Amino acid sequence: MRSFTHFDAYSIEDTCTALGQYKGRAQLKAGGSDLLSILKGDFLPDYPEVIINIKTIPGLDYIKEDGDFLRIGALVRLIEMVRSPLLSHKYSVLVKAAHTVASPQIRNVATLGGNLCQDTRCWYYRYPRSMGGPLQCLRKGSGSCLAVKGDNRYHAIMGGKKCFAVCPSDMAVALACLDGRLIIAGPRGERNVAVADFFYPLGNDLAEDEMITEIEIPARRNPAQQNFLKFTLRKPIDFAIVSVASVISIEKGVCTDARIVLGAVAPFPVRVRAAEELLIGKPVSEEIVMSAADEALAGSKPLSKNAYKVQIAKTLVKRAVMGSTD
Amino acid sequence: MTRQEKKFSGSALEGKHHINLTVNGQLYELAIGTGAGKVNPSDTLSFTLRETLGLTGTKVSCDSGACGGCTVIMDGRAVLSCMLLSIECDEKEITTIEGLKNPKTGELDPLQQSFIDHTAFQCGFCTPGMIMSSKALLNDNPSPTEEEVKEALSGNFCRCISHYQIVRAVMAVSGKGK
Amino acid sequence: MKSVAENYRYIGKAMPRMDGQEIVTGKTAFLDDLKFHNLLIGKVLRSPHPHAMIKRIDTSKAEQLKGVKAIITHETAPDWKGGLPPIRLLDRKVRYVGDVVALIAAETERIADQAKRLINVEYEILPAVFDDYEAMKPGAIQLYDDLPGNILPLGSDEISGATWATEIVTGDVEKGFAEADAIIEGGFAYDNIPNPISIESPAAVALWEEPDKVTLWVSNHKVWNNKRLLSPIFGDKVQIRIIGGACGGSYGAKAMSWQVQCYAAALSKATGQPVKVIFSKEEQLGCFILRPATRLNAKVGMQKDGTVTAVAGSWLVGTGYYSRTTQIQIAVGCGEAMIAVRCNNWNVKPSIVCTNRNASGIVRGFGGQELKCALIPLLSLAMEKLSLDPFEVLKKNFVKPGDGYFWRNAAWYNYRGIDYSRAMDEGAKTFGWKEKWKGWLKPTAVEGTKHIGVGVGVHGNADVGEDMSEAYVRIDNDGRVVVISGLTEHGTGQRSNVVKAVAEVLQLPLEFISITPGDTLVTPVEWGPAGSRGTYAILGAAISAADDAKKKLFQLAAPMLGTDNFEDLETADGIIWLKSDPEKRIDWKKVLKFRTVIGHGRFDEDFSLSNCMMSFVELQVDTETGKIDLLRVVNATDVGKVIDPHGLEGQLNGCLGSAGIDSAIFEETILDPTTGCILNTNLIDYKWRTSAELPVIENVVLETPIDSHRFHALGIGEISTSPGPSAVLMAASNAIGQWLHEYPVTPERVLKTLGKSMEKKQGGSL
Repeated sequence: MRSFTHFDAYSIEDTCTALGQYKGRAQLKAGGSDLLSILKGDFLPDYPEVIINIKTIPGLDYIKEDGDFLRIGALVRLIEMVRSPLLSHKYSVLVKAAHTVASPQIRNVATLGGNLCQDTRCWYYRYPRSMGGPLQCLRKGSGSCLAVKGDNRYHAIMGGKKCFAVCPSDMAVALACLDGRLIIAGPRGERNVAVADFFYPLGNDLAEDEMITEIEIPARRNPAQQNFLKFTLRKPIDFAIVSVASVISIEKGVCTDARIVLGAVAPFPVRVRAAEELLIGKPVSEEIVMSAADEALAGSKPLSKNAYKVQIAKTLVKRAVMGSTD
Repeated sequence: MTRQEKKFSGSALEGKHHINLTVNGQLYELAIGTGAGKVNPSDTLSFTLRETLGLTGTKVSCDSGACGGCTVIMDGRAVLSCMLLSIECDEKEITTIEGLKNPKTGELDPLQQSFIDHTAFQCGFCTPGMIMSSKALLNDNPSPTEEEVKEALSGNFCRCISHYQIVRAVMAVSGKGK
Repeated sequence: MKSVAENYRYIGKAMPRMDGQEIVTGKTAFLDDLKFHNLLIGKVLRSPHPHAMIKRIDTSKAEQLKGVKAIITHETAPDWKGGLPPIRLLDRKVRYVGDVVALIAAETERIADQAKRLINVEYEILPAVFDDYEAMKPGAIQLYDDLPGNILPLGSDEISGATWATEIVTGDVEKGFAEADAIIEGGFAYDNIPNPISIESPAAVALWEEPDKVTLWVSNHKVWNNKRLLSPIFGDKVQIRIIGGACGGSYGAKAMSWQVQCYAAALSKATGQPVKVIFSKEEQLGCFILRPATRLNAKVGMQKDGTVTAVAGSWLVGTGYYSRTTQIQIAVGCGEAMIAVRCNNWNVKPSIVCTNRNASGIVRGFGGQELKCALIPLLSLAMEKLSLDPFEVLKKNFVKPGDGYFWRNAAWYNYRGIDYSRAMDEGAKTFGWKEKWKGWLKPTAVEGTKHIGVGVGVHGNADVGEDMSEAYVRIDNDGRVVVISGLTEHGTGQRSNVVKAVAEVLQLPLEFISITPGDTLVTPVEWGPAGSRGTYAILGAAISAADDAKKKLFQLAAPMLGTDNFEDLETADGIIWLKSDPEKRIDWKKVLKFRTVIGHGRFDEDFSLSNCMMSFVELQVDTETGKIDLLRVVNATDVGKVIDPHGLEGQLNGCLGSAGIDSAIFEETILDPTTGCILNTNLIDYKWRTSAELPVIENVVLETPIDSHRFHALGIGEISTSPGPSAVLMAASNAIGQWLHEYPVTPERVLKTLGKSMEKKQGGSL
């Protein structure tokens, strides 16, 4: 790893001020699992001058219900989410999603905020310098998306725009399904943005002097039926090829509420409202769920090598809604 | 934290000048900087353990968080030492493979002995990481089930496929840690 | 495991590995754990282009960097060459993405990396070719000036001067096809070029002492072979010493470490200091040994009783940008095909083609696994046509006593081993083959979208007796024994087994015996572990050496015991006595007093024995997602006599890893056809099996004495990866009811075959 200056941060204010002063030359670091792999791969045009450790900011590692909201501090580690009785009871989609992330050792250090801010896994984008890289592409400022003509088996089947990398965050999918919003702090004050709107094809919504401090989720009265299914070639370690988060309320066999979000199919989590509407008010039968699954993928536009993701996504939607665990 | 808008004052952040690292019960005070015996801000914990402290029992293989070879226990949890910056390990308590032996009697940890008894290794390069992941599990849950052992070791790469013998070795001491 | 009752003190008993204590305490010194005075770190600058000429290379800025000690480019590199065609260590032309452009030695890794970024290279970019068929076409891009069609010659090996088999041609294939009840013509490929990826990366430390002495500390399992490879590269004048230590996995590949070793040697020569070069995981995945790619287009004839009457066709082997061992792998692969398929009429013509990708080379399975993964599916099509049970056909066709085969040196060998049918039957029984096999393209069971299928594969290798081994056994005057052997440990436990074998011969407690490090300066020649030769060849030499030492000891002891009949002498635990009068006895220490005795043992190659492993697999295909879950593997073998049950189990369980069974499920090296970059050079995108998804493995091991050495044992470890991949293809095809033709069987391929992923490309507008 190349050298950098390292600071510990003790307050959100100081952190954002420093980010502003360094004008993009500073990087925040929490668990660091993604950041260190980026720095070691050295594939980005700019290498940070400064690393700001935010784990030292006190008080950002809570999971609590606060009136109408569930609030999760950005520095909560995934292992704590996996083990949280509160989440297990009422927000189990978060627990299920957190449990699928990476490996036990990574979950012991990786934070929720870091999971949301991690960079894409596109293998062209991340092609390492040591192997004759990096490769230039639009996401890095110029050129075109190399995946379109190349090997795009893991790339977007919808929502891509000039860049077809997908959002790698499992937590984003589960949070979007619970209507989560990100609390973002910056020198211009605090703002919040829906999780699903945080991600763009070429990155995310954070300005260079902002940081996520909290994730806010409307408190749930009843847990309903929450599910998170992640399709990978292997259970641990892998990033999703497709994932689906769902929260389905069923009363007397009839679906009264449905939220379905697709992951790893687009540069952002995709809430499939048309499919949800198709379910609401109807009995949860295999037939109805199948048509909802078809509807969920109706807008998909696969690339040359990833049409199989459409079929897998449909299957996952069906299984998630039907309450299957695999 | 309050929800209202705030004005930020511009106080600069400060870097560290030294760190205190407790490794296998021994305290090391290491200066931040460049040169022998010092910790560069971009040094990983695995580098510091191996190169600065000479504790080469911790192995580095992929050096990017995907193989578990460099697993150590930090504050009770299995972590990847190649993915931690040493400068951020100030005041942390770390156990490496060298720290498992009983310091007084020199006796092996029962888990280490079980690895020998079951020949739970072939080339042996992944073994320190495997043992540290298993140890962290056993510390947390002295009677894991076979499934829990497999899950706890799922981030540890072994190409020889010694997993079956490893799981047996860990299960042989499961339930005996109480 | 079943055991014939034999009264061994050590052989066959489960015992702690000699190096176990060090391994579990982290004390085992792998290469990167060794300490050197004044050590420099060597790094490699690699090409971004798959094919280019270096027009200009400017290292001046990098050289000015404090701490940089040497930079070597094609202009300044020693003229060292290796492989076929002989490639320069650093060439003006680069031939794959990742090819070496410059070497840097610096005081620290950080400085070396910084220097890499300061080197300015101007390239003349050339068009590149990545596909093996494309590379052979007229007018294709040429990688070398003197290699028309990118086709490498077969049969020759400039280093050893040996001749290798270049084809399987015997009998009359036309006659064979005329006798067939079914003829199948088709093609199968096993061309996903998986990487065995040892956990310890390829590495070397070199110290060059002018003018012509070089010492290399290596991370591999074949120090003498290493010396033999480097000697013609450095030239006869150079005195080479190779010091081996613990090797963190190889699976064959690290035997081909000549480049990383030469990088270290060249940098040490340039600096006069020891230099360490360790490949990163990215380099290991993108610039180190891959499996050769196989494409078989052939015609097979089969009779109703499963007799194979003819095999004819072409076997195309893609080797990447050059070959070091592919010729030999083809030679062995051909022999292994004959061992697994008893057929009188063959006409299989291999060829090797170069393309602009990283090189293929030695990987466990060595040519035979590659060919088998295409040949067994082709034979399966014939079996399907004749409604034959593949287990019965594979059993019937595996070499039997009295049969023979052409081996790698193109010579014919009469097989004098055992009939493995009994092991196969036992395996089938344990697996429940009869109950599970429902016929071709029929699932064993269906539950909703989960289809269960079974498959079987087989492999055997006569390299169990390849090449030479030597050992000395030295009995010291303190009654202790030192085995002097050039063997290093790479995971099989073979060093412990050598000690065990010597202890058995000399009837000595294990703790009285030690073994030297694998150092060419002090040990006799030892080819090292390869092709499962350890049990027969390496132990064979150690046994002979122990016998020889014992004989010499008896010669000294006999007069002291007042006899000249050596047959009457017996020894155990350091005491010699007369069988006829056990009261007459003498301590070794008294016999030796102020001397040592040294016994010498040698093993010479013997290709008349073959090992055998049959693998049965049961897997589940989710027909809605295409995902394959491996449920159960049963491996069946007969090893003659188990030496070390734990070590054997480890080797057999190794069927999954190191580009074995999983190369049919998710392991593959993904070469981007547009850039020539290998896209998955990390351990997230390169898929490997984790402990969370272990299938049940059962190993059925028989012990029918084999005519090898006195313990009647034969090695098996190398081939455990080989029967599985084709068995997976068979099982997955049976599960879904349609033939799958490609490795690995990804969800995409399953869904396509099932007609469930038919959408055309619609997206991707730029």
